Amino acid sequence: MSTITDLAQPLHLWIRRLRMQRALTWSLRGLIVGLISALALGSLGLYQAKLLRDEFLLLVLSISLMAPIIFGLTSYFWRIQPLQAARRFDILFHLGERVSTALELERHPEHIPPEILSRQLDDAVTSARAVNPSRDFPFRLQRREGLVALLCIALISLVWLRGEAWFNASQQARAVQHAVEEQAAQIEEIVKQIEANETLTEEQKQALTQPLQEALQSLQNNPTLESSVSTLTSASEKMQALSDSQARQMSEALQQAGNQLANQEGSPLQSAGQQLAQGNNTNAASELANIDVSQLSASEQQQLADQLDALANSLQSSNPQLANQLNQAAQALQNGDIQAAQQALNQAAQSLAQTGQQIASSQIASQTASQLQQGAGQVMAAGGGQGQQQANQGGQGQGQGNQSGQGQGQGQGSSQSNAGNNGSGSGAGRGTGSSPGGGSEAGTDPIAQNNGPGDGGVSSYEQIYAPQLLGGEGGPQVNIPPSDQPGGDVIGQGPLTPGDPGSSTVPYNEVYSQYEQINNQAIENSDIPPSFIQIIKNYFDSLKP
Amino acid sequence: MTLSVDKFRSHAEKIETEVGKVIVGQNEVVRHVLVSILAGGHVLLEGVPGLGKTMLIRTLGEALDLKFSRIQFTPDLMPADILGTEILSDQNGQREFRFRQGPLFANLVLADEINRATPKTQSALLEAMQETSVTVAQQTYHLDEPFFVMATQNPLEMEGTYPLPEAQLDRFFFKVNVNMPDVNEMIAIMDRTTGKESPSAGKVVSGKEIIQMRELARGVPMASHVKEFVARLVLATHPGDPNASPLTKKYVRYGVSPRGAQALSLGAKVTALLNGRFNVSFDDIKAIAPAALRHRMLLNFDGLAEGVKTDDVIGELISSVATPV
Repeated sequence: MSTITDLAQPLHLWIRRLRMQRALTWSLRGLIVGLISALALGSLGLYQAKLLRDEFLLLVLSISLMAPIIFGLTSYFWRIQPLQAARRFDILFHLGERVSTALELERHPEHIPPEILSRQLDDAVTSARAVNPSRDFPFRLQRREGLVALLCIALISLVWLRGEAWFNASQQARAVQHAVEEQAAQIEEIVKQIEANETLTEEQKQALTQPLQEALQSLQNNPTLESSVSTLTSASEKMQALSDSQARQMSEALQQAGNQLANQEGSPLQSAGQQLAQGNNTNAASELANIDVSQLSASEQQQLADQLDALANSLQSSNPQLANQLNQAAQALQNGDIQAAQQALNQAAQSLAQTGQQIASSQIASQTASQLQQGAGQVMAAGGGQGQQQANQGGQGQGQGNQSGQGQGQGQGSSQSNAGNNGSGSGAGRGTGSSPGGGSEAGTDPIAQNNGPGDGGVSSYEQIYAPQLLGGEGGPQVNIPPSDQPGGDVIGQGPLTPGDPGSSTVPYNEVYSQYEQINNQAIENSDIPPSFIQIIKNYFDSLKP
Repeated sequence: MTLSVDKFRSHAEKIETEVGKVIVGQNEVVRHVLVSILAGGHVLLEGVPGLGKTMLIRTLGEALDLKFSRIQFTPDLMPADILGTEILSDQNGQREFRFRQGPLFANLVLADEINRATPKTQSALLEAMQETSVTVAQQTYHLDEPFFVMATQNPLEMEGTYPLPEAQLDRFFFKVNVNMPDVNEMIAIMDRTTGKESPSAGKVVSGKEIIQMRELARGVPMASHVKEFVARLVLATHPGDPNASPLTKKYVRYGVSPRGAQALSLGAKVTALLNGRFNVSFDDIKAIAPAALRHRMLLNFDGLAEGVKTDDVIGELISSVATPV
């Protein structure tokens, strides 16, 4: 006589086999889902230029492996009702509903004759034992599902093998992202340094950090290539605007004066001079304020008066206010007015301290502007050639007129008194600089007249207007000195008598070679920001005869 | 005292063996008739003349140790002819009406060519078939158990016939179609019926044993999902049911009544036991579904006009209704 346990044993084995079959089936379905998901996500990532080749592979592999594992495990451990399984096995193994009926009778044996109950159970157990699961219930996979999986694999392989352009774009985008992050980190570091600088006043710190904070915010909010370059360039301009062009001269003058004073042994101003020579203007101001004139002997007072007078003379051109106060102190000493001398000396110390702060602020602004400009170049370089043109078109350009020139607008403009040229400008920038050069059109018009390739020879090129050749070719060369040198406002100097009749023209290839040479020198001298080197090179390439 | 399962099978085999001595082939018909008897139901055999319908039932009557009576239905047959009537009798000088039992008072009644009788006479069978009793002159007489009506009808000769009404048809447990025998069976029939000796069946099972077999069969368990399948199948015979097949929706006017489900269930239990199983399977249901359902479905005009058979509809339903798991 059989018991229900005899039936439970084969049923347990069948259920385990059913779990394995389900795990197998759903693993394949999970693989399909994983492959489709990986393909969709990968395509989206590539479309948005966010996935590198390795990352795409990692994504595909991880999802394609994880999905079948999850599906398989879930289906394996999914709850199976023994009665439902028995019904299924009854059909599968052609058991004539014996097993499922036996299970039901185990729970509800009411109204069934005992003989039929026991005979039914015996019959079910006998039938169940005759089943060969491996023969009657072999592991199978749906062919159609297998084909779908293969199709997905083929599509992914296609993307992997033929998606070079997408992967390159992603790589470029990633490089830009890293470059932007680096610039953001650099700006944060600069901000920290500025805030930790004890030399600067709170107002100066505020003025210096504000554009940096804005730039940082903008970089974090919109880290695209165009926006980042524009942000960095704009921040650079703002920082450049905060730098004082005369601060350098003042610094050099103070340093020079400090060197002279530091060499005078026993002088009351020796220690202040040492500080000035080292560039510590604030300390030098403290040393100057610490001089107690009343404690000096008459000869020392006289020596101090002479030194102050000399110092005032050396600073007259760069810092007239400080020079005036030093002069007043010297005069008071010479007049024997100790109190007035001490007062003037204190005022000079105060003025020197302010000058020191101004110089420090200007230096920081200038350095930061340079760093930001370099950062913009690095971001552009990370973005490759594609981003440069967009950045130049979309970003704010910068126009410079000598050192004090400054401009804003679309495109870019430059006006440098380089190599005797009065200036050159290109693009549509609207310069508002105070440069004497101002970006004349002399550089643009002639070059733009013939920027196509030549006929292959060097013999004949179009004669273009050349203003530096007065009186035509063969006439005297007009040399325009740089504006920061004495006589810089003199446009040119030549014979007053008229030159040879004829227009001031020169062959295009000569003009081009001159400009190209100038450009090469400028690049070698690092006069051109790295970010613009490629742009300028492209420009000259387009003009090449 | 209940019958053992082995006895059940033994008796069933004996009946089939005895019937098989006389009836050649027609195994399915014999099996269905036997199932119907063991389930306590009445059978309507339909077939052209000469296929052995009457012979089958008469042989069954011989094999079963039961009171057998045969009623040849004709248009002039009256209800009293089959139920019985009260006659005036003179006994000890007193005259009184006494009920004289008709041929219906038997265990196994052969209603030959039942559709030849008028509906009035056909209806006289209703109470007997359903209630196993007869009411005459406001007096109800119970029929002896077991009581079976085995009716035959000829599908070809429709002139002068009265098709059985739906209520009458529904009371038949099975409607069994008797088909033409094949060549070998035809030869065997010729051999058996044209020789010197005519084969005959011996009595092998008593009426009491038939009742015991019927009780045992009712104890055969049926799993819940098998019952659900029966219910779905029966409901699917109605054109408005969601599980109805296209043929059902198109050609069926009215589906099977709950009596159809009862017949399926009970017939499947007997079939399971006859097949050596102790529980009902889907195959048992499918095996008897045509016999249990074909006479309980009403085809619409389109179905009748296009010659659609209810067996076609049932066949489609069997394959279309999903087996619950």
